[in-house]
Amino acid sequence: MRRSFWLVCVSVVVSALGTAPPGGLAAQQGTESKAEPVVRIRAERFTFTPSEVRTTVGTRLDIELKSDDTVHGFRIIGTDVNVEVPKRGKGSVRVVFTPTTPGRYTFECSHTCGAGHSFMRGVIIVEAK
Amino acid sequence: MEFHYNKPEFVDGELDFHRFVLLVTHRYSDRIRFVGELEVAHAFVEGLEEAGELELEQAYLDFLFSRGLNIRAGLMLMPVGIINERHEPPVFYGVERPLVDTALIPTTWFEIGVGVHGEVGRGWRYRAFLTAPLDAERFTAEDGLRDGRQKGSRTNAGRLAATARLEYVGTPGLTTGVSVWTGRSGFQFRPRFDVPVHLIEADARYSFDRLELRAEAVQVSVGNTPDLNDAVGRTIGIDPNVAKTMRGGYLEAGYRVVSGARFGDIGAFVRYESVDTQHRMADGYLPLREFDRTAWVVGATYWPDADIALKFDYTMLRNRSVSIVAPNSFNLGLGWWF
Repeated sequence: MRRSFWLVCVSVVVSALGTAPPGGLAAQQGTESKAEPVVRIRAERFTFTPSEVRTTVGTRLDIELKSDDTVHGFRIIGTDVNVEVPKRGKGSVRVVFTPTTPGRYTFECSHTCGAGHSFMRGVIIVEAK
Repeated sequence: MEFHYNKPEFVDGELDFHRFVLLVTHRYSDRIRFVGELEVAHAFVEGLEEAGELELEQAYLDFLFSRGLNIRAGLMLMPVGIINERHEPPVFYGVERPLVDTALIPTTWFEIGVGVHGEVGRGWRYRAFLTAPLDAERFTAEDGLRDGRQKGSRTNAGRLAATARLEYVGTPGLTTGVSVWTGRSGFQFRPRFDVPVHLIEADARYSFDRLELRAEAVQVSVGNTPDLNDAVGRTIGIDPNVAKTMRGGYLEAGYRVVSGARFGDIGAFVRYESVDTQHRMADGYLPLREFDRTAWVVGATYWPDADIALKFDYTMLRNRSVSIVAPNSFNLGLGWWF
């Protein structure tokens, strides 16, 4: 039993590490945003997934945020975007962001959500057309 | 916040207001933040008594330069394992934290230090800190590293410890990580000798819809244990029988049987744990088999709100001793966060 337990432990961790796609989900999400205009971001203590979103100047970005646990915030630093993401089971919130200049826009949780709150950040990378 | 009712076999049950935590944050600017966390453990604090504890668990400044590089300084949580940085009661199954997150990863584990953290690529996050080391004089056969935390209180910083964690969070629902901690912990002894301690940990957490799976494995090596045991034995009169290798881990599966109902969510879980704080001994020492433990934990959680958890579990604890019985226990807990 003990040996089986350790084998299962190691294989679970190794297989989980192996599921990381080479391009990452953020890349897929960014690609999908042309066909599917809604970028779905999942929030949980203390992570946004995806935490990197790519778009181009002038493209309207529809971002739907849903929490897996408590109330979070979604604030894009340097813009007027700052919304509350309702807690699990209370629905989602949608944000529209249309960048007019290229650059890196940092977003973060703006509602204190626990001990690792300040880790909870991401970036929208806006490239010129 | 959480309070527990613990009822081990053969003894009376106990009610305990285990943790009352106040979190304080302040934003100086978009780039400079303060986080503080003050905890009263076991409800009552009395000087020089084995009662409760008033602990400053976090008090640090974050200097946020970029997504890839930020600096943290102050009293901070060690980035090791699943529970230590993410310990709010509603986010884990079970009334008590897993054994491995008690003896081998001494949660809640916090020390004074400085370091860097950030995120690179599409979901690769890292933390790397230099902090005060553990105090090997307080390691024990039963509780492993647990009592070795210096907790930011007049800590010895003659030999800094290093800790780092790399994790991948780029796939929805999946978090995987590896953590290491290394330090020299023999600073209390005269003449001074080294007690190098190395901890390596790997974990994975996956949730999909109602299902949540967790796995964690830890190995700890402690160097120079014959000198450590001898020195502590001469100081307090009891040889602590600290092992040169300790290891442990757990597998857990949880499922939300009810999700999205008006009255809340209900989840059930099962966890298998294995912790051996006497795994490998130095020559001349025999392991105490009662500290080679396994446990099956089954239970349920009711969330009337995402931030409130009413939990119960039944823990079937076993050990390898032929003479000392490990008691089963029934545990009930109510935890909340705001």
